[in-house]
Amino acid sequence: MNSKEMLSQIEEIFHDQLDDETIILTPETTAEDIDDWDSLTHIMLVVAVEKQFKVKFTSNEILSWKNVGEMMDCIKEN
Amino acid sequence: MIYNINDKFEESFVIFKNTHQNFIQLSEDRNPLHTNNEFAISKGFKGIVMHGNILNAFISYFIGECLPTKDVIIHSQEIQFKNPVYLDDKLKFTASVSGVYESVNAIEFKYYFRNLEKKIVAKGKIQIGII
Repeated sequence: MNSKEMLSQIEEIFHDQLDDETIILTPETTAEDIDDWDSLTHIMLVVAVEKQFKVKFTSNEILSWKNVGEMMDCIKEN
Repeated sequence: MIYNINDKFEESFVIFKNTHQNFIQLSEDRNPLHTNNEFAISKGFKGIVMHGNILNAFISYFIGECLPTKDVIIHSQEIQFKNPVYLDDKLKFTASVSGVYESVNAIEFKYYFRNLEKKIVAKGKIQIGII
């Protein structure tokens, strides 16, 4: 899977979890760019991403992410 | 994490008359399907049908009171109603751990409610967080 496909799948997860079809993600997107990206949403997003890509993150990995691109790097490394 | 994939839990529940009445008082849902025997029978049921959301209250009890630890919070809950539940029905609830997400301290359960005929009356998923 290339980065564009991965970003598109993550974007769909964001649409579903945040009930907002207008969200457009880029690798540079951060939680500050999306109004409803709160702590509970973050948990739901991580669980959905783990399910979608069949990966398991560690809490340290999650804490290290600064943006969506770093989440994608982590998925690729898993 | 004390939860592992496929860990299983079981509980039994009965919808007694007072359970039903307390739920009506709480929800104010007096739809005739739930309160009028003749109406329910005319719609093809054996009698008044219990509110499906009484089962959600049982799930609340399961999560809040029956798990090995109390440091839990419900993140999300899905339920599908498959068959009617009647007054005094005895229900067997089974739940198994279907997902462990250590990175965010979250656990997912798949659950089923079955009646004495072993028919699934409801099923779904619950995600909880360990706080």
